[in-house]
Amino acid sequence: MDISQNYFSGYGLEPSFVVELGALRQTHRALQQQYHPDRFVTHADDEQRRAVQITAYLNQAYQTLTEPLLRGIYLLQLKGMDPLAPTNTQMPMDFLLQQIELREAMEELADAHDPEAAIDTMTAQLKAQAAQLEVDFAQAYTQKEFENAQTTVRKLQFVVKLQQQLDALEGELLD
Amino acid sequence: MALLQIAEPGQSAKPHERKLAVGIDLGTTHSLVASVRSGQAETLPNSRGEHLLPSVVRYLADELPQVGIKAQEHLVDDAANTVMSVKRLMGRGIEDVKRLGANMPYLFEACEQGMPLISTVSGQKSPVQVSADILRALVQRGESSLGGELVGAVITVPAYFDDAQRQATKDAAQLAGIQVLRLLNEPTAAAVAYGLEQQEQGGEQEHGTIAVFDLGGGTFDISILRMEKGVFEVLATGGDSALGGDDFDYALAEWVREQRQITDQLDLAQQRFLLRLARTSKEALSQVESTRLSFEGWPGDAIFADLDLSLDQLNELLDPIIGRAIRATKRTLRDAKVSLDDVAQVVMVGGSTRSLRVQERVEELFQRPPLTDIDPDRVVALGAARQADVLAGNQTGEELLLLDVLPLSLGLETMGGLMERVIDRNTPIPVARAQEFTTYQDGQTAMAVHVLQGERELIQDCRSLARFELRGIPPMAAGAAKIRVTFQVDADGLLEVNARELTSGVATSVQVKPSFGLSDQQIADMIKASWANVDDDRSSRSLREQQVEADRLLEAITVALAEDGERLLTAQEQQAIVASMEQLVMARNGDDHHAIAKQIEVMSKASDAYAAMRMDDSIKRALAGKAVDQL
Repeated sequence: MDISQNYFSGYGLEPSFVVELGALRQTHRALQQQYHPDRFVTHADDEQRRAVQITAYLNQAYQTLTEPLLRGIYLLQLKGMDPLAPTNTQMPMDFLLQQIELREAMEELADAHDPEAAIDTMTAQLKAQAAQLEVDFAQAYTQKEFENAQTTVRKLQFVVKLQQQLDALEGELLD
Repeated sequence: MALLQIAEPGQSAKPHERKLAVGIDLGTTHSLVASVRSGQAETLPNSRGEHLLPSVVRYLADELPQVGIKAQEHLVDDAANTVMSVKRLMGRGIEDVKRLGANMPYLFEACEQGMPLISTVSGQKSPVQVSADILRALVQRGESSLGGELVGAVITVPAYFDDAQRQATKDAAQLAGIQVLRLLNEPTAAAVAYGLEQQEQGGEQEHGTIAVFDLGGGTFDISILRMEKGVFEVLATGGDSALGGDDFDYALAEWVREQRQITDQLDLAQQRFLLRLARTSKEALSQVESTRLSFEGWPGDAIFADLDLSLDQLNELLDPIIGRAIRATKRTLRDAKVSLDDVAQVVMVGGSTRSLRVQERVEELFQRPPLTDIDPDRVVALGAARQADVLAGNQTGEELLLLDVLPLSLGLETMGGLMERVIDRNTPIPVARAQEFTTYQDGQTAMAVHVLQGERELIQDCRSLARFELRGIPPMAAGAAKIRVTFQVDADGLLEVNARELTSGVATSVQVKPSFGLSDQQIADMIKASWANVDDDRSSRSLREQQVEADRLLEAITVALAEDGERLLTAQEQQAIVASMEQLVMARNGDDHHAIAKQIEVMSKASDAYAAMRMDDSIKRALAGKAVDQL
């Protein structure tokens, strides 16, 4: 296992936004079976240490490759870009307005007639948005429109953050 | 099992070459040791046939300590030298122990690391030493039952145990001379005991989700596991460390008191009478539909009539308590992003899950009967034994691999007493994460690193794991140094932290050792509070951030004024700036972050012109006396 390579090659893949998650999971399990520290309990200290390092690397790689947002950012980083750098804050105005509307709608959710249903509706809305952005990203990335890809990844980050806040809100409301 | 094993020379595992390994459930009230023999996991009894070893140690002046039932017999007459429930003290600081408090009759003293020490006739004992004495008794039992030396043990810990508690457990094993093959989470061990990974191999499903419902006497833990191809993953853990079967007895005793209008202050004997009455009637109702409670032998003058209790009435009393466990379960399912339908199996652990009402309510929630075949007191030790057998190398082929997650988030203290998360709760381990920080002041040559664990945003609400300093940073302008702090957590959930300054390569690291800590209750509270206080945290976080910003601005202006205020500004301009500084100081000392933000803006505007003057001035000075071609 060469942990100096990129995350994709560790799993025998070429860098791409399209990843078959089932196959990735299987490969990840097989690699875990091979390299997990539990396999080295009776080995020398340095081998145990190496097992910890490799497994930590695999866990990080797996998380990055399974989550579309992290995967997108990582692909751009491999190209030497930093889509989330603090200087990269330009966003299209219509997208920002849409986000502000969603955020306002979320703040009113708690007072909705049926908050649970309202949350479900909004979750579906965000999921659809995220799915569309993932399609857009895949296209921009394969066509090497990297500026476009960077903007798309930043949009996706907005949507993912909003979804996290919605999950937290749901937790509070249902308790 | 095969009757005849054929093997090539040098390849076989002859029976006598089988490596001896045990699983140990090191519990709060009792402990167990188990091993795999002839392919079956079984708990090992002592010579009198008792399986459960009470987790009690009595220290004597000139003899070896007594462990188990012998020690338990002296809990009352030799309370100061007889230690129980030591698991609650593991990885805790003296301050936490004092808070845990009143019901612990021991004399505590703090040692240098802040670990609590219990004064006994045979000297001062740390919780790690007491646990080591319990472990020694279990290992002896294992070695005499199995007839040989052990290669090691798998020891179980609650899934929510933090780094210090895990480290303390490992230290205890080391002290007892046992090789720890692995620290294993209790719920994972319970699932393994039911062989759930094999069920799945047989069949229809590719993967499955398991809920482990663990209701003990005084604590409730719920864990959501996912298994796939012999791999277990803890998706989330939750629970309530102040909820257990004892609450059933208290609720029933309270009901009895109300029914018979016993309003006087009860003495200890009367309390015990009521609790015993509650317990026996509760147990009777697992066989019959109704029972009669008699006050015969009441330790007091009053005479009370017998009282009838039906199963329905009992259930009505238990339901609110069980309801709390059900709510915690739903919350944890949400944490794990798992729906009720996804749960394929529910495993019951802990003596209080023998209650039929508990089983009914769990079945009602999950729409499937929970697994109750294995003794809920032994199930954890049995699973640990199976894992020990695998790790010792006694099994071949498709092996069981257990993966765990981090129980509580890990992070660092940043400016203003805030916790910056480096690794989130429920991240699969082992894991390594790095975060970069920078210096705050010009010429800063050292940086304090404060490692924390918990879910809250302010450091005083989190658990402090370690503090160390990175020294020898070359002097640079504020913000120019790059300090990378790396957290590495191994498969047992133990943390190592190192810090490195990237431009110079100066580095330092620590293995995090138990120092100070929180009580179990506080850990549960911390997780709960991180939900309850989301808003509170956010506004206090904003407040701290604004305060830091205000301090930074005030310091910069104070320094500037001292340097060249008199030279560059008129008295009137100076006064205006000082006045706005005073306004900012007042806002900064208040608790309204909006007000501080506003004053920061006012202050910045007031000093803008001054900043421009200083800039011009420094350019003029730099240029002074230099020819154009030198530039």
